[in-house]
Amino acid sequence: MRFVDEFRDAELGRAVAAEILSLIEPGRHYKLMEVCGGHTHSIYKYGVDDLLPANVELVHGPGCPVCVIPMGRVDDGIALARTDGVIFTCFGDMMRVPGSEGSLLEAKAAGADVRMVYSPLDALRIAKQNPDREVVFFAIGFETTAPSTALTLKRARAEGVTNFSCMCNHVTIVPPVRALLESPDLRLDGFIGPGHVSTIVGGRPFEFIPADYGKPLVIAGFEPLDILQAIAMILRQLEAGRCGVENQYTRVVPYEGNLRALEVMAEVFELRPHFEWRGLGFISHSGLQLSEAYADLDAERRFQVPGVRVADPKACQCGEVLKGVIKPWECKVFGTACTPERPIGTCMVSSEGACAAYYNFGRFAREREVV
Amino acid sequence: MTGADGCGPDHCITCGDDGVPMTVVAVDPERGLALCGDGGGERHSVETALVDPVAAGDRLLVHAGTAIAALVEEPPR
Repeated sequence: MRFVDEFRDAELGRAVAAEILSLIEPGRHYKLMEVCGGHTHSIYKYGVDDLLPANVELVHGPGCPVCVIPMGRVDDGIALARTDGVIFTCFGDMMRVPGSEGSLLEAKAAGADVRMVYSPLDALRIAKQNPDREVVFFAIGFETTAPSTALTLKRARAEGVTNFSCMCNHVTIVPPVRALLESPDLRLDGFIGPGHVSTIVGGRPFEFIPADYGKPLVIAGFEPLDILQAIAMILRQLEAGRCGVENQYTRVVPYEGNLRALEVMAEVFELRPHFEWRGLGFISHSGLQLSEAYADLDAERRFQVPGVRVADPKACQCGEVLKGVIKPWECKVFGTACTPERPIGTCMVSSEGACAAYYNFGRFAREREVV
Repeated sequence: MTGADGCGPDHCITCGDDGVPMTVVAVDPERGLALCGDGGGERHSVETALVDPVAAGDRLLVHAGTAIAALVEEPPR
């Protein structure tokens, strides 16, 4: 495909890898975090880290919405799905996330009407086709996905669809990144910034990273050359002793973001005082809920939702994986009790979760050899 | 590419912040929707409010049924 294949060109990749090598200060260890799960997936799929010198370490961040959803929210979703007359809709990966008593997929097998959709617009269509049923959309995702939910809620209202509501689990990227930077467990040298989140929010929300913490961030695309080039740009900043927010993904990301998306989000959503993240705990102002103006479309107000907090499974070390403190293969249950077929932790559910990415692309075997 | 649950090894709509390049085939300006082709032969109804106005032939980056950016294609620098 035009302008995709070029960003997978092996020769160009090797040239950027050589540049990376030339930017490395001998004896220094570089720890760079890719915030977004999409980057984690690309890095393993294309073997990007095989092209890097041993002292450039990539750490996987919390940018996978399925991976950070706490068990209690899954249980709340299942309770809604079991409500009489409800058609419960969600994205595919979400269906396999384990709650304290099974997943949405298992609830479906037991008789709940749970349907997979590719977009909130699909969920709205189901509502229009089933006027005698209540259709709930389980909204999940960072700022990339939130505008899509917001536009669909506006559309539902404009078209007078009254049997549609949303259980909102949207989260924002800046608070968990700030929490990681405050964490004493982790010393990072720079960040590969999330490409498509930045399409919406732009580069400005990340300026606190260089300003307050003195670390560079480079917004990157998702092809292997994009990621390699972003790493070279981070290393160039470190070599020159400067730090700032730079944009490698200019073909998609305007630095000011998408103002229309930000406007519609501000109209439909408001910040929750706090939201729970799997493995990271409660983080202030990190989750979105429907604003008062859209309260009538809020499934958590329309239906009884238990809202119980459930502790993460003891065996699971997703929290440490999400914080980059351990590698997926260092988790006690990785590849044994926890596999993509029967996940215990969320990082093994989504294909963009660090554990699933390691497992699916054979990294487990390689890492074991090293050990 | 896509598993039975819709999110196979290559695809998770939300976690991958999946952006699919699509080409506009037809526009319905009244409803704010466009019919778009994904290059793999499939057609999708896409919300265009964030990138309007769009015209047939335009290239869009689509995430969860919404065009989040008009695609400005440029080769690697």
